Parts: sequence; structure tokens; C-alpha cells
Amino acid sequence: MINIFKSKLAFASLIFPLLAFSNSTKLTEEKELELVNFNSIKKVLQEDGLSQRAINKKKEVEKLKVEQAKISAQRNLTPTEEDMWGFLTEYYLVKNAQILNWDFSKPEYGVDNSFKELLEKLGFYQKKFKVLVLNTPEIYRGILPGANGEDVFLISLPFMRSMDLSKLEISMLLLEDFFRSESGLIRRRLVTKNFNEIVGSQIDKTKNQNFLKDMLKSYDEGLKKGFSFQEQFEMTKKMDSYLKAHPDLWNTYFKLLGKIDNFTKGNNLYKKYIEQYPSPQMQIKWLSPEKKVL
Amino acid sequence: MKFALLTLLFSSSVIAQNIATDEKVVGLFYFKPIIGHVHQSAEKTSASMTAIQCSHPVKVIESSKVVVSPEWAYVEVADYRGFIRKEFLAEKRPDCFQGRYPHFFDGLNLDLSELYYWGRLYDQYIQVETRVR
Repeated sequence: MINIFKSKLAFASLIFPLLAFSNSTKLTEEKELELVNFNSIKKVLQEDGLSQRAINKKKEVEKLKVEQAKISAQRNLTPTEEDMWGFLTEYYLVKNAQILNWDFSKPEYGVDNSFKELLEKLGFYQKKFKVLVLNTPEIYRGILPGANGEDVFLISLPFMRSMDLSKLEISMLLLEDFFRSESGLIRRRLVTKNFNEIVGSQIDKTKNQNFLKDMLKSYDEGLKKGFSFQEQFEMTKKMDSYLKAHPDLWNTYFKLLGKIDNFTKGNNLYKKYIEQYPSPQMQIKWLSPEKKVL
Repeated sequence: MKFALLTLLFSSSVIAQNIATDEKVVGLFYFKPIIGHVHQSAEKTSASMTAIQCSHPVKVIESSKVVVSPEWAYVEVADYRGFIRKEFLAEKRPDCFQGRYPHFFDGLNLDLSELYYWGRLYDQYIQVETRVR
């Protein structure tokens, strides 16, 4: 009996460490598995809302991955249409900084507040613009497209001074340009044949360089080309319809056109103005009430 | 003699302490426009000390010795200390044009004078923003 017990004990002592050893390794593996395998604690996780959080996290990571892929793909692309307009306008202004002569010290004219008040009076809210004063008589005024409607208005200081324009009168001229831009006329005049092909496409160095050259040329021509009678008529009618509700503003605009008409007729330096903006005299006629024959 | 030396040492240490405590770093901000200038004085037309690109980190400093108008910030950029308009600074890293289209922007090969003018452009703009209805 004792012998049997001894032999069992010996066997057990031999087996136990092996069992214990195998058990301990399995246990750690199991622990690890438990940590990794959410199924084993699914109920607890569900109760804590952790499984939902894990799903959300997974979705978030996937979203981020998609966005990251988009960003890295975009790095090799040319700008989108909106970004391209904003960029091109500034590129043109930088490339022509010396000719347009906008980098000079000048006093605050208060045009910003005057134009802001005018737009708000007419009901144009949440609009953002930039005005750049040029120290050259070469370009009288103009508007260039910006990104997301943030257009850049150009106005010549020698022109403002020669005409002795008030803040409100300057704002009226800016308003004309604002309507031109709102109707899409400015972008249509500047766009080149390959514009739509280039924007948002894969970068091609030669194509891009040619495109930029063409666009700079188009901007240059666009600022000097002027507008047709039809375009002027449409814009003047728009001014009329917006300003009619404010007789003081309408009168200022009407008088301004008379002022420009008189000034450009007697000044050779500004004769080109009538060619570009035809014509103050016609605009006055379009604005004047029709004479009724009794 | 010893007393005089001690007073001199003490007073200089007090001055040094004042200089140190006088200044405060308000925070780290990021430059928003494509390119811009760190100005010598708080004026749009003042000379440029250095030009920086969008997303460049800018340390804004407050010092009793430097009085600036509310539109301007006294800043430290690398080894330069100058002025930048507050509207050009963002608390978070901005989404920059050259960051979105790095290859396109690099392909422009802008020279130094063009980079300079690009920065000046933002100084010369008169900004108009109508209110929210």
C-alpha cells in the first residue's frame, strides 16, 4: 500500500511541475487572448459602451486615412478653380508690382468704411474684399477675382486725385465693379482656353508654365480692354435698380457720371477712360427718366 | 570700496531681473498669409526685417518696454524681434496654399524680389468686410 502511494507520489511530483509549467504558459496566453479577443468580454464592453467607442475609433481612423490619401494625392495637383483664381490674381499683382506701383505709403482714405457702409445699405452682407490703391495713371480702376468671392478692387490714386473723388464717389465706382464681378463677367473675360483643363489636374511643368504665361497676358489685357456698350448698359441698369430705393445715393451716382463725363472730355490723359468705360454720357441717358410726349 | 562694489553688483542683478520678468511670452502663433514680413516698427510701410511663409511659428511677446497699438503684435521670429499685424496670426496651424499645393508652388520659382512683393501685397491691401446680417 505504502509502496503504491510512494510510486503515485513520485509520479505526481514528476508530473506536477510539468503540468504546472504548461498551465502557467497557457494561462498567460489565454490572458493575452482575452485582452485581444473582445468577444470574451463582449458583455462587459457593451455594458460600458466601450465596444461602441472602439467602432467609432475604427471609423475615425478610416476617415483620417481617406483624408490623408486625398491630401497626399492633392500635393501633385494644380489648385482647384477657386484657389487658382485667388492665386492668379496675387501672382499677377506680384509680377507687375513695379508697373502697377502699388507698394507706396499713403494715408488711410477711409474707402474701406465708406464702401462697407454702402454695401450694407444695399443689403450685401458677409462679403469680403480687398482694395489696392495703385500709384499709376495707366490703369484707372478694375477688379480681379479672388478665392471664394474675395475679389481685389484696384483704383488709381492719380485718377482719384485728378477727379477729386469723394469717399462715396469712389465707393460708387467700386460698386459698379462689384456688380460686374457678381455677374461673372470678370472671370469670363480672364479665363483662357486651357483654364478648365489645367485646374485641379496633375502637374505638368511645361503646361503649367505656358498656362501661367497665358493667364498673366489675359489679366493684362482684361484690365486694359474695357467693356462693351451692352455690358455697360446692363451694369448701369443694375446700379439704377439698386440705388433707386436710396435717392441720396442715386443722386450721388448720377452726379458722379456727369463729373466723369466733363472731366474726361477736357483731359487728354483720361481720354482712354471713355474707351474702356463707354460712356458716361450714355450712362446718364440710360438713367434719365424717359420724356413723355403729351 | 567693498560696499560700493556690492551695491553695484546688487543693483545690476536687480536690473537684470527686471529685464527678465518684464517680458512675457503670450503664446506661439502661426503666420496666415502666403508670405509676409516681420516689420521693424508697427506700421504697414515700415522696413522688413525678414520674410516668413504661411504656417511659420511666431512667438508673441508682451513687454512693458514696447508699446504697440492693438492691431499689432510684438513678435520673435528666429533671431529677429519685430512687429506683425494680429490679423495675420492664428492660434492653430493654418491650411496654407503652399501646403496644399507644394509642388505647384515650388514650380513657380519665385525670386527674392517677388517673395518680397508678395509679402508687401498683404501690407498694402485695404480689407473690407461687411457684417453678418
